Amino acid sequence: MNHNQQSNDGKHDDDSALSDFLASLMDYTPTIPDELVEHYLAKSGFQCPDVRLIRLVAVATQKFVADVASDSLQHCKARQAAVVKDKRDKQQKDKRLILTMDDLSKSLREYGVNVKQQEYFADSPSTGMDPASRDE
Amino acid sequence: MSNGGVESTRDTRKGEDGPSTSLGRPKADDFGRWVSKIAVAQICESVGYQGFKGSALEALADISIRYLCDLGKNASFHANLAGRTECNLFDITRAIEDLGDSHGFPGASEIGNCLVGSGIVKEIVQFVDTKEEIPFAQPVPKFPIVRNGKLIPSFEHMNEAPPGKHIPSWLPAFPDPHTYNHTPIWNERASDPCADKIEQARQQRKAERALLRLQQRLVRNGSTGTSASLVLDATEAGSNPFLAAPLQQGEKEVSEVVLPAKLSNEVSKGDHISLLDAFAPAIDAMKTGPSDRLDGEKTFLPEKRPSVQFKFKTGKKILGESLDLSLQRKGERSSTFFLRDDERDDKKKRAEFILRQTTEYPMELNQS
Repeated sequence: MNHNQQSNDGKHDDDSALSDFLASLMDYTPTIPDELVEHYLAKSGFQCPDVRLIRLVAVATQKFVADVASDSLQHCKARQAAVVKDKRDKQQKDKRLILTMDDLSKSLREYGVNVKQQEYFADSPSTGMDPASRDE
Repeated sequence: MSNGGVESTRDTRKGEDGPSTSLGRPKADDFGRWVSKIAVAQICESVGYQGFKGSALEALADISIRYLCDLGKNASFHANLAGRTECNLFDITRAIEDLGDSHGFPGASEIGNCLVGSGIVKEIVQFVDTKEEIPFAQPVPKFPIVRNGKLIPSFEHMNEAPPGKHIPSWLPAFPDPHTYNHTPIWNERASDPCADKIEQARQQRKAERALLRLQQRLVRNGSTGTSASLVLDATEAGSNPFLAAPLQQGEKEVSEVVLPAKLSNEVSKGDHISLLDAFAPAIDAMKTGPSDRLDGEKTFLPEKRPSVQFKFKTGKKILGESLDLSLQRKGERSSTFFLRDDERDDKKKRAEFILRQTTEYPMELNQS
């Protein structure tokens, strides 16, 4: 009985939390626009007239992308910290954090997505060379 | 944007035009992809990035679209499994759990717990609470735009009875019979190529005769006003008094016109003037125009008549030469026309035009 009551209370809390959350979703505007989400959901057979659920899907996708991006950012920062060539070089690199395919593929691998890209395309004499020296 | 080469920030990306950077034909999904690229770029910026490689951004946008589609597919699958067509909250929760299984979320290993208390939903709630709101940068119109297709009207619409009882009236009507029935074509005009050629030749000769008469008239106009005699076609002299044959010398009494000495020398050489001689004075007049202006007389004939030599050579050179001649003459004449344009009759303008044409093609004249 106790257990049931506790679980009931728990459920009640969860229910209320969920309903509150869905209500709050209407105020929160996800970065991914509703029209885009509706288009791709309609393509995949998802039918739902409720706007809140569309917003939920948008938020879930946003969370996923943000997680991937933050993971790759960690990789990027770690790479910058590891490279200690020259004090001047490090400062230059510290200025800009660039999303690259390397970091992205590393972070996506943890999510089960295998993104592999060609190392280089040998179409010019400077392919395969160090990027820093190439810029010079 | 090239692979692994150029960097770009979100702001520069927004200003770019889609078709200018993409290769190949635009696909149906391009708009959606571009919008998602912008959205993903905004999310990355909020995470802390300052720039992206083009290929990385495209890959991430592609993956986010796939995630979205997979969510939808999964949710609809679960709804169908439960015997419903419309998805609800729990279908979505299950779908998110399925996609998040690889990464893990709190409570993934538990079985038989209520979906309401799902760990993944709690994570999302946490995400919404902590993250600040970043709305999409630009308003997105509803897409894709559905166009109402033009339907073929039905039998009812056309007020036609369908031919045959087996055809219901709400089906599209048949096309008009003239679109598929081939009826024989009646050739109303009997074409006679022989007669057509004769007619054509007759009209050509008529035109040449008229041209010749005009030229003769112009030649004699300047020399003797009264002694000119025109040969008119019998058909042309109708009721129109202006087209009637001019009076011969002596028919009517008119006062004599005293001509200046210079012009009296150039009396007409006779009735039969060869075509080339007829054109010769006019050609000279074209060449030396402005000298006569000072006399106050409108005349084509110059004071001095330089000898004109016609050289006929065979071969393609002739065309080139005639063109050069015409060009030279045009250069000389351009200034004269500018002075005299206002005072010339239309007739004289036309005459000059005809002369120009005839001098450009002397060979054709000879053959006719």
